[in-house]
Amino acid sequence: MVKEELIARSPLRVFETSIHGGLGKGNLGVLTSRKGVGKTACLVHIATDKLLRDHHVIHVSFSQNVDHVLSWYEDIFEEISRIKHLEHARDVHDEIVRNRVIMNFSQKDVAIDQIISSLRAMIVDGGFKADAVMFDGYRLSDDNCEDLGRIRDFAQEMDLEVWFSVSALSEDVPYDEFGVSAPVKELCYYIDVLIGLTFVDDHVALTLVKDQGEEVQKHMSLKLDPKSLLIMREDEPLQT
Amino acid sequence: MSDIKNMRNIGISAHIDSGKTTLSERMLFYTKRIHAIHEVRGKDGVGATMDSMELERERGITIASAATNVNWKGYSVNIIDTPGHVDFTIEVERSLRVLDGAVLVLCSVGGVQSQSITVDRQMKRYKVPRIAFINKCDRVGANPYRVKDQLVQKLGHNAVLMQIPIGLEDKLEGVVDLVSMKAIYFDGPSGEELREEAIPAHLQDEAMAKREELLDAVSMFSDELMEAMLEDQVSEELIMDAVRAGTLSQELTPVFMGSAYKNKGIQPLMDGVIQYLPNPTQVQNIALDLDQDEKEIVLESDPSKPTVALAFKLEDGQYGQLTYIRIYQGTLKKGDELYNVRSRKRFKVGRLIKMHADSMEDISQAYCGDIAALFAVDCASGDTFTAGSMNLSMTSMYVPNPVISLAIKAKDKNAQGNMAKALNRFSKEDPTFRTYVDPESSQTIIQGMGELHLEVYVERMKREYRAEVEVGQPQVAYREAISRRADFNYTHKKQTGGSGQYARVAGYIEPLESDEENYVFENSIKGGVIPTEYIPSCDKGFQAALEKGTLIGFPIVGIKASINDGQYHPVDSSDMAFQTAAIGAFREAYRRADPVIMEPIMKVSVEGPTEFQGNVFATINQRRGMIVSALEEGAFCIVEAEVPLSEMFGYSTNLRSLTQGKAEFTMEFLKYGKVPQSISEELIRAYEQKRRDEAGK
Repeated sequence: MVKEELIARSPLRVFETSIHGGLGKGNLGVLTSRKGVGKTACLVHIATDKLLRDHHVIHVSFSQNVDHVLSWYEDIFEEISRIKHLEHARDVHDEIVRNRVIMNFSQKDVAIDQIISSLRAMIVDGGFKADAVMFDGYRLSDDNCEDLGRIRDFAQEMDLEVWFSVSALSEDVPYDEFGVSAPVKELCYYIDVLIGLTFVDDHVALTLVKDQGEEVQKHMSLKLDPKSLLIMREDEPLQT
Repeated sequence: MSDIKNMRNIGISAHIDSGKTTLSERMLFYTKRIHAIHEVRGKDGVGATMDSMELERERGITIASAATNVNWKGYSVNIIDTPGHVDFTIEVERSLRVLDGAVLVLCSVGGVQSQSITVDRQMKRYKVPRIAFINKCDRVGANPYRVKDQLVQKLGHNAVLMQIPIGLEDKLEGVVDLVSMKAIYFDGPSGEELREEAIPAHLQDEAMAKREELLDAVSMFSDELMEAMLEDQVSEELIMDAVRAGTLSQELTPVFMGSAYKNKGIQPLMDGVIQYLPNPTQVQNIALDLDQDEKEIVLESDPSKPTVALAFKLEDGQYGQLTYIRIYQGTLKKGDELYNVRSRKRFKVGRLIKMHADSMEDISQAYCGDIAALFAVDCASGDTFTAGSMNLSMTSMYVPNPVISLAIKAKDKNAQGNMAKALNRFSKEDPTFRTYVDPESSQTIIQGMGELHLEVYVERMKREYRAEVEVGQPQVAYREAISRRADFNYTHKKQTGGSGQYARVAGYIEPLESDEENYVFENSIKGGVIPTEYIPSCDKGFQAALEKGTLIGFPIVGIKASINDGQYHPVDSSDMAFQTAAIGAFREAYRRADPVIMEPIMKVSVEGPTEFQGNVFATINQRRGMIVSALEEGAFCIVEAEVPLSEMFGYSTNLRSLTQGKAEFTMEFLKYGKVPQSISEELIRAYEQKRRDEAGK
């Protein structure tokens, strides 16, 4: 399969159709679930799809380890190219990594203003015209809800979309049947697109909980394969 | 013979200016190897003893790893002083290969900086257990606790404090030993008299808290200690055993501290070397059996076994070439016969020496585990010596290809001869330094790993060999490659009276998928259309064509050449005719195979205060760099990027000026990458101009 065909046939097209053509510049999207369900995999797959379409992506992580993030991208790309028999995979890989930057922060030490200032430095001084910023493992609570407002202002100013994978600060909080925790629900006001992830039988189901500002509860006709960690169409067979 | 278990081979490795040479100097002083202390940039003009080269003294940096042997409390310790500059990485890596343990020196103000990260990465690669020494605790802004935290966060060490300081900056008095729970002060004019006292009252609580942390961290390496802790029966021995176990497994880094310059904390560090770093029997050394397809063989630290030794460093001394060796197995005596596995030559051991920086001591024998030196042995760095004819080679060290070259020209006839001598010596000493004469320009070219690397050799030529040279512009080692398959069908035919020349070759060239090989030749000739005797001629012809690409005259890499048809003439065909035909065929196909220029891409790591982050991003962006990641921690950030080497000239000056000298960078070769079209066109134009100029001369 060549790159163009891979993009056209990607399950991410179904994903985009589900949310009316994509998140859109200046908007905030959130993937949320309990720990260990597959938020990072989804986030990296969404980012990889953007990279394949020549978009520029900044991945913001709080893991203290850049290598860990890099290997997520390597693994997801490898799985996509293996399953879809991507032609000239090495060249495509080398081409797309040029459009990706990983920025790693220790969230407990760095305030949102500092993160925004670093993102701005990367985009303006570093000449990296980002189309999307992916915040991986961002901790949301009532205390930092204003952060979301600042990030939205920044997204609008820079004309880019922002995706988050969000965990609750504690696992003791209540979750609904779609994998959305109570604290995240509280912050729904700031979020344009909210997707919950839950384990169902042998896969992870994606449910659209908020769609472009509208509260909905819509099954996305997509699933996350726990083996390959790729987003798939619901009717596609799981990797064994 | 001394017991192998009472031997330590250690390296002192760290960031430049963290004071490791001063530290080595103090170690020599306290072990009575030297009788006076000289500073690196000393006012007495003598310079530190371990910095044996004049240039090193002047720059205050250590370039060559001088090895020296000292005795501390009945233990024989070989100390290798290693360079901190990444441009001399091969020196560091080679030293690490022969070490059993290392002291990672860190500055209590600067902390873990990017060069420390590189050096630590190298130590991890060679599985070297290490202890840390936080130096310069007397400096303004000293904070050993912060540095210990950085060891954990930035280097991923399980670092534990073995001491806490008594006072800091100009109030540094000594250290509290958290194992013995005593305060140690360093009296006498050079801190040689240790005085143990009770812990000062104001430090009692802190010492208790830090000792608890120490016990918690090390108890997981000893069940006995864990039990003793439950019963409140902890002894010093139990703690030390647990720390040793953790250090040897590289899962724990004990942290010592002090100030080498102010003579504080050195003796406890030496005790730490003895107590926690491994003896040679505790390290597994592997050799490759060249007779058994490089099968791995574990060497035994047994003096009665056949000798296996590695030449890890060559130096040109007053009395000729000095070869530093590490003996891994067996015993080496004066008069023994050794076999150089690479050159397959035997030689006799003449003088056997123990080195102390610039002075030496004759010895009659040396045993496994030891580091010694031989005189006047014709060998190269990295050669393995064995007893008898054992065809063993120590694990080959990774030697990167040079990425930068420089044309040099001797200023006069006298310098010409000296320059040749120097170049011969340097290329034997350092496998990453290479030299050749360009057949077209007749210029002498030197190649190495970076600007500074070559600069230092040019300086050494001047100072040590009195060879004044003129230096050209640094030149990047480009490569040429093809992007797609192209067929060829080429006939070489010449009839100039007498016997003529005739050969036809047909086939194709295509890019190789893997980066591991540079050239593959495939013979698919059927029915003898090219006689078997001329097949190697075709191979040879292709290889000759690869030496110089037609785009910009650099070697061509990553090519598969396949021949599947051809023709010969019973009288006019010859080896030469088929070689020429293959060259012609290659050039014909090369043009149609979309040739491209490849350039060395460096992995660059810039570290500095976050406030200058934007400037750092900008410098990388302006240099065609790709930012891979930016890691922020507190007020500091580390930016990792991939930047073409050709864009890195003068980067240090540029970075310094944009960051008020507060940021620094390291770089190492990463890979070859395609040059963008516009730059490729520029390079081709310049090459064509150069050829026209040369033709016009």
